[in-house]
Amino acid sequence: MDLTRLPNDKKLELCKWYFKVGCLLLPFVWGVNAIWFFREAFLKPPYEEQKQIKKYVLMSAAGAVAWLAVFAVWITIFQLQRVSWGATGDALSFIVPLGRA
Amino acid sequence: MAPSNYLILLLIFSFCRYGNLQRLHEKIYSSIEGGAACFRRLNGTHQTGCSSGINGAVGVVHMIKEIIDVQWLMQNATAGPYMVVVSTHLFPDVIEHILEKPAIIAGILLHDNATGSSASFSQETRCPNEYSSSYGSTCSDSAAGGITWNEKGTGLLRRDIPFPIFYLPISKTFEIEKLDQCYLRYNVMDPANQKGRPLCSVQLHSFMFAAVDTEVCLRRSTSSALLTPTKVCDPLGDHNIYYSLFPRTKDNKNSQEITLVTARIDSASLFDGVSPGAASSVVGMVTLLTAATALSQMIPVKDASVYGQNVLWTLFNGEAFDYIGSQRVAYDIKQGTWPANAPLSVGDIRLHVEVGQIGGSLSVYDNTWPLHAFVPYVDDIPAIAEFLNTFSSNLEKNITLTPDYNSNLPPSSLHSFRRTFRNETESGALPEVLLTDFKATFSNMFYNSALDDYDNIDFTYHNITVDNKGTFIPTDALVANGTFKEVDPQVKIARLATVLARTLYQRVAGKAYAGNISVSAHLVDEMLYCFLKSQACRLLQAAEYASSGADEKPPERPAPLYVGVAAVGSTAPVFAGHLLALLTGTQLPLNRTDCYDLSVPGFSQYYLKGWNNSGVCIQTTMNISAALSPAFTIPNYNLKSGEYSTWTESVWQAMWARMFVSSSGVGARVAAVSGAVATLLAALLTYWLQTHAARIFTDAPAQSIVNDDAASGILRTVNC
Repeated sequence: MDLTRLPNDKKLELCKWYFKVGCLLLPFVWGVNAIWFFREAFLKPPYEEQKQIKKYVLMSAAGAVAWLAVFAVWITIFQLQRVSWGATGDALSFIVPLGRA
Repeated sequence: MAPSNYLILLLIFSFCRYGNLQRLHEKIYSSIEGGAACFRRLNGTHQTGCSSGINGAVGVVHMIKEIIDVQWLMQNATAGPYMVVVSTHLFPDVIEHILEKPAIIAGILLHDNATGSSASFSQETRCPNEYSSSYGSTCSDSAAGGITWNEKGTGLLRRDIPFPIFYLPISKTFEIEKLDQCYLRYNVMDPANQKGRPLCSVQLHSFMFAAVDTEVCLRRSTSSALLTPTKVCDPLGDHNIYYSLFPRTKDNKNSQEITLVTARIDSASLFDGVSPGAASSVVGMVTLLTAATALSQMIPVKDASVYGQNVLWTLFNGEAFDYIGSQRVAYDIKQGTWPANAPLSVGDIRLHVEVGQIGGSLSVYDNTWPLHAFVPYVDDIPAIAEFLNTFSSNLEKNITLTPDYNSNLPPSSLHSFRRTFRNETESGALPEVLLTDFKATFSNMFYNSALDDYDNIDFTYHNITVDNKGTFIPTDALVANGTFKEVDPQVKIARLATVLARTLYQRVAGKAYAGNISVSAHLVDEMLYCFLKSQACRLLQAAEYASSGADEKPPERPAPLYVGVAAVGSTAPVFAGHLLALLTGTQLPLNRTDCYDLSVPGFSQYYLKGWNNSGVCIQTTMNISAALSPAFTIPNYNLKSGEYSTWTESVWQAMWARMFVSSSGVGARVAAVSGAVATLLAALLTYWLQTHAARIFTDAPAQSIVNDDAASGILRTVNC
């Protein structure tokens, strides 16, 4: 979809909708929203709905970054500690590595 | 040209390309066939054996022809990692050096060479099955001093080796010669500057799925909620074979007193499919089988009601791996479930005689055969004293027996019984004797190894025909006519088996044997041939099931004696069981259907081919039982407890080895640099063309191409 062809009220609606969908534990949608509407929120000349769009873009970006941080921490802990967790580590693994601990 | 023509052209082109690729692959690599790889086994606490990386291990060939070659490798080599090519002769001397610096070693290609024969070669520990031995054992692999049974053992079989090892038997020497030519051509000159030159290299692939220990690999084999689990390891195990002189049923009381005579079937080695076990196990097993044959002729089974004693002959399997077979039998006796049709209680066993490792001294060219009887008691136990006296009085021709009253028993299945029935064995209620051919350290220098083959007991097959009634020429006649000499292992084993049979006769009958039945060296010759040289032998052919369809000829190589995984039965115990049935069973004049329909308590029937290949109904008390460690049958068994054997074997997908000449690396570097330069030049050129487009193209469009209405129209259609 080309944002440049959408009227401004539709843009706001779309941005808001993406933010709401992202609330259903879908950080990728927040990430997409933040990147997609970044130009609309910060680079375009001001227009009426821009302030609201800016708000949703910022909230989406913050949410996506928070999720990313959580994932990064968990993945780091899991990769470093999986072996020492033993049975729990194997149970948490989707693909158990062959030929090593 | 029509489109279909293009298609055909494309197909031809692609086929050509495929063919070229194949040939290119063959030009680069030369496969090394017939190698046996070292693989991974696991127990309750450790992983042992070898594994390559998932893509194999690649290393520069380094031939070890003298010890000095190893020193160069460890101190001066620059082009590592290296693939060490070493003979079995030098291997025991170099392996410790190599293991000191595993980082520069990619793997080992071990070959059996014809020129220098090895003085010793055993990958077992110096105290085999140390952690499953019973009270009284003082052998310790870690502590210095004291008796170590397997003095020459390197212990590799119980160590985690950080690189793959392949073994090439003597029949594959030409592969080593090929490798040596390549090595001499590329690697030898100016060894100090190997780096950066094209070098002869080898790739070994033996990637193992399992890791850590048995607990981890069994868990990974069974559990996976989302995907179908990949099996990564299997418990070791197979079958035990037992046969009683008289049938044993739940309600016949007169033959409940048992003399248990045992030996082991299996051997082991570091390498897949190579475990000949001649001196380690075959000599003991053949002694037991032939002695059982002779005793069954001395005391016909129909006279069962006359005697109050019975003899239970048992062959244990998996003994090389913490006594799997005997631990299971001892455990089952304790549970009251062995043998299945008429369970024994430990009190029924009045004497346990183990025919231990007795083959080691057969390689010495000497008429004598000095044997030892280990008796783990200081007090006088009447049953043992009587057995030893009878045995000694029956001894003939060059065999001697020296009793050794010592509670430090060599590795044998007695350890399993002593652990499970400590009260009974310690008090002497379950008296035990172990026959060996050594006193302090193994006389067998090739214990549980790939080189423990027929040569190690000096066996030469005499190939004497057997008539269609299955009669064997008596030993004395064969010695008298010069076919055999007293020094031959066949004669020695036949004489020992005769002594054992006569001793047991006296135990059962209560009087000395007066007849002339003895074990024939002819039978021993045939049996050793079956187990050491070829499965396509007369005895096994006669003992095979008589099947109606066309038969597959068995391979002309010995059956491997490694116990293998429990899920797949191996042939060795089946052979032993069928031989017992054929040689000790009663022949019934029945056809196949009647044979299998017959039901007599204590007996079972087998319809075998027989000596004239026409099919014969054999009634026997021979039976099989599981040789799977109790560790895998007890629910929630703690695998780290060390009580029972916990050995498992890793699963693998493929094992292969190949040689090639690795490039010096100059070509690859030139390609990488020129690629980078070309990319950079192209980028610069593109940039220049774009900025100066107006100069080159007369009707070039304006700079603001992206904002043009027509262009955004295109973008729109692409995006949405």
